[in-house]
Amino acid sequence: MAEQVIKPDLNFINDVIASGGESLKKCFQCATCSVVCNVTPEDKPFPRKEMLQAQWGLKDKLLANPDIWLCHQCSDCTAYCPRGAKPGEVLGAIRKMSLQEFSVPGFMVKMVNQPKFLLVLLAVPALLYILIIASQGFFGDVSIPTEDGKIVYGKFLFSLYYVDTVFTAIALFAAFSLLLGITKYWRAMSAAAPNAKGSFGKALSDTILEILGHNRFRKCEVTKGRATAHMLVFYSFIGLFITTILAFAKVIPEYFEHFGTHLGIDQSLLDGLTVIYKILGNISAAALVLGILLVISNRFKNQEKAGLGGYYDWLFILLVAGVGVSGLLAQFLRMANTVVAYPTYVVHLCLVFFLFAYAPFSKMAHMAYRATAMIFAKQAGRG
Amino acid sequence: MEKKFGVYICTGCNIGESVNIEKLKKNTAGGGGVPADVIKEHPVLCSPEGLDIIKNDIAAGTNTIIIGACSPRVKYEEFDFPGTIIERVNLREFVAWSLEPNTESTQSAAEDYMKMGIIKTKKGELPAPNILEDLSKKLLVIGGGITGLTAALEAANAGYEVVLVEKEAELGGWAAKLYKEVPREYPFEKLDEPLVFSKINEAESNPNIKVFKSAIIEKTDGQPGLFDVTINTKGTSETIKVGAIIMAAGWKPYDATKLGHLGYGKPNVITSIQMEEMAKKGKIIRPSDGKEAKKVAFIQCAGSRDPNHLPYCSSFCCATSLKQAKYVREKNTDAIAMIFYKDIRTPGQAEIFYKNMQNDPGVMLTKADVTGISDGGSGNLYVEAENALLGDKIKVEADLVVLAVGVVPATRAPQEYLDGLTEAGKKGDDAKNAYVTETPKPEFILNLTYKQGPEIPSLEGYYGFADSNFICFQYETRRTGIYTAGCVRQPMNMSEAQMDAAGAALKAIQSVEHVAKGMAVHPRAWDTTFPDPMMIKCTSCKRCTEECPFGAIDEDAKGTPFYRLNRCRRCGTCMGACPERIVSFKDFSVDIIGSMIKGIEVTEDEFRIVVLACENDAYPALDSAAIKRIKLNANVRIIPVRCLGSTNLVWVTDAFSKGIDGMILLGCKYGENYQCHFVKGSELANYRFSKVKETLDKLQLESDRCSLMQVSISEYDKLPEMINDFVTRVEEIGPNPFKEF
Repeated sequence: MAEQVIKPDLNFINDVIASGGESLKKCFQCATCSVVCNVTPEDKPFPRKEMLQAQWGLKDKLLANPDIWLCHQCSDCTAYCPRGAKPGEVLGAIRKMSLQEFSVPGFMVKMVNQPKFLLVLLAVPALLYILIIASQGFFGDVSIPTEDGKIVYGKFLFSLYYVDTVFTAIALFAAFSLLLGITKYWRAMSAAAPNAKGSFGKALSDTILEILGHNRFRKCEVTKGRATAHMLVFYSFIGLFITTILAFAKVIPEYFEHFGTHLGIDQSLLDGLTVIYKILGNISAAALVLGILLVISNRFKNQEKAGLGGYYDWLFILLVAGVGVSGLLAQFLRMANTVVAYPTYVVHLCLVFFLFAYAPFSKMAHMAYRATAMIFAKQAGRG
Repeated sequence: MEKKFGVYICTGCNIGESVNIEKLKKNTAGGGGVPADVIKEHPVLCSPEGLDIIKNDIAAGTNTIIIGACSPRVKYEEFDFPGTIIERVNLREFVAWSLEPNTESTQSAAEDYMKMGIIKTKKGELPAPNILEDLSKKLLVIGGGITGLTAALEAANAGYEVVLVEKEAELGGWAAKLYKEVPREYPFEKLDEPLVFSKINEAESNPNIKVFKSAIIEKTDGQPGLFDVTINTKGTSETIKVGAIIMAAGWKPYDATKLGHLGYGKPNVITSIQMEEMAKKGKIIRPSDGKEAKKVAFIQCAGSRDPNHLPYCSSFCCATSLKQAKYVREKNTDAIAMIFYKDIRTPGQAEIFYKNMQNDPGVMLTKADVTGISDGGSGNLYVEAENALLGDKIKVEADLVVLAVGVVPATRAPQEYLDGLTEAGKKGDDAKNAYVTETPKPEFILNLTYKQGPEIPSLEGYYGFADSNFICFQYETRRTGIYTAGCVRQPMNMSEAQMDAAGAALKAIQSVEHVAKGMAVHPRAWDTTFPDPMMIKCTSCKRCTEECPFGAIDEDAKGTPFYRLNRCRRCGTCMGACPERIVSFKDFSVDIIGSMIKGIEVTEDEFRIVVLACENDAYPALDSAAIKRIKLNANVRIIPVRCLGSTNLVWVTDAFSKGIDGMILLGCKYGENYQCHFVKGSELANYRFSKVKETLDKLQLESDRCSLMQVSISEYDKLPEMINDFVTRVEEIGPNPFKEF
């Protein structure tokens, strides 16, 4: 084994402490945490080594470490720690720092993670939609068109221009940014552990299977139920993603019509599609709200053992909750045919914008980083 | 004193239900030869009514009392009748609680025990203390460090005159050389100013304390209460009489020049002692260029817990380095302190200080095996380590390295010198003379005039520390009246050293007070008997002077042994050693025990096994087994002895010629982790026991009939089985053929 030069970094230690790892220094290296952890690999287990590395401020080792994402913060370690060092929370803080380290552009990371920029970030979609609505003249004399007196959001904001285009752009931006981030992360991990030479395809498929089953997450003991809550939210996102695709598929003929071309698709097929995505969408939305409520309740229930979390966690949780609740509300208010439906719909759009546009810099990005780390770890034989 | 006997039997605590009391009374009177009218019984003899029976008899002239009741280890306050000979016969534990009730064997056991008790009182005499004249209660404290100062102040404040001898020009020792101290009080966060200076002022102004500085002990002669100590102050000698001595001679840091492998010798590698000096001067700097040190590495166990250097842990270095890490952090907030340890050991409350120091982000700790210190250029260093969690092989940059060096007791050098001398002596006079001329003589501390040597004898496995190996008597040494405290005894921190000092001061006071009453000190702290040799029969074989664990027997100019009585702890080792059997105590002698053995009723159809049980551990263990009602073979007869070291081999002959079938010598564990209360008793007994075979061969008996067993007090649950198994083995050998004679 090559000799490693250790360069302690006091500033990094202070950063970890400031990021929610304030108990970090209490660790006295007894290894109880690594012993009680159900999710760590047996060889070079976490979180003990991460605790020590953090105590010495070994930034490079920590941030480019796939192990931090193998941790699901079950908090078994925290519960059994004889010194109150809360390794679960420390690793949570390090994950956040790792994600922020690799995400680009850097100024966005700063803004998304500082409460003082919250209003600025919210103002972006809000202003965008205010401008759109104003441009339609709805703030002036123009009354919002309806269909037989019923509210149809498509008549209010034509979805091709004002929803699909905007959100496709956002999604592309987010995806690109995330891709850059995880590429940087992968490179850093490869540099730190150049010997990870397993099959990528196998690692990828294993990772997908693991994520779909939440297999590792479900091994948590101290904070039971978190995997279930997470699974609800996770699958509801998949459901809503499919809903979005189907809805998009359904409106495609409308677009062609809009531009004067008839595709000649049978209307009953489109109606059938509508029924399917409406059912799927509603089930998913209900699951999302239920899931996120469980997440919130778990957070409070496990506050003692696992910590309540900080701005980084709560911004994401509340955003997801907001998206779910505002989405359902927008639908119900539309069905109730009340005028409040319009602003609710706009709020929903703003929240979705926020969630996706800022995803690479918020906790939302954990899905990309965790999956990346899992693939890397599996490839390195640390399944 | 004409003896008037009174025999009292308690029938409570199951005794009455296990034994036929009427028969016991009758046969005791017959066998023991005491008038039957003084044999009385009571259902609760320890009750006021029961005790009144005895007290009334004493008022009417009874002066020799045999009480058949519970173990002598309990109810000793109730059954205490000053001015009388008292013998307690352990009917409750050894008969009622250990044997099957109401069998013939149990009955004869009870009768044998009563008879032996009566024989003991018949043969024994009322102890009278031997109080030597012109005793001093003054205490000598050697060493003016935190321990010595505390001991001197504790004793002086208790009203005793103290002589305090310090070899340096100033009092205070290491404690006065510190910049700051590890926090002494909750919450253990802030470093404390050194405490020792107030103690120095207090000691120097205390009228009960006479301080000698720049002084050493030239000679220590005499015995507790009568030590003549010659103090040499810068060449001028003065002899002072003291009663007891507290030795707080302290320690030296381990010689760092032997730590070249840890970089000592490089300009920026210093010891923890040098770190204190540096902190006291002001800034924490790199000696090479005087620049402020920003990355300070502390190497724990520098030479400690290392078989090539100091194999032991010095107990306080971890807390010291944590304290010095705080110096680094407080003097420069940018600086970091890195501690490389084998294990952090912060005993007692120091653990809280450790926790607090850990919380400082700038204090980094890791377990690691430091393999060396290499140069990193321009005065920088690399700490190289292995087996660290940070990596299998790591290098950490530092600009100052502090070696946490361990404790070497002041007693180590003299002990090593003297042990070497003994070894050389074994090779003959030439080797001894060569040793004396070739080996530099270290500074002695006590310069005792004892025949057994000028210093505290070394203890195997203690690396030169003057410790005692006793959990309960930690300040004891094998020189009665001399107590050790502080780091000369064990590595310890300053608060522990102060507690130690107070404890040793109390023991020293106890020693002078007991000597003044003619009583032994621990463990026989009540005992007013003393060895009374019939010198006319002494052959000056000197076995006693060599075997006495406490060096109590010196030789006069003609080579005749004589007792320095106040050094004696009354273990009776001399009694066991003496081939002429001339040593006796008033209530314990070769004749008394021999007669008791001979008093055991031997029948042809039953086996009889005698157990000579050490009173200190074996006897309490037997009591404990009885309390648990673990059954013992009823053919066993237990006779307590002061120490297995007092066992005289003639008792073996006595027993077997009488027709006893087997014999057990039951003593404490000996060896490195010995538990013998008299240090070497059971070991000496074992040595003598090796000669038992000869004795038995002479009698044409199987040597398996006699066994020496070691037992620790916690093994009481196994003890009856050990004894019963032995009985079975003897039964297999068959009855003693001497029964017929």
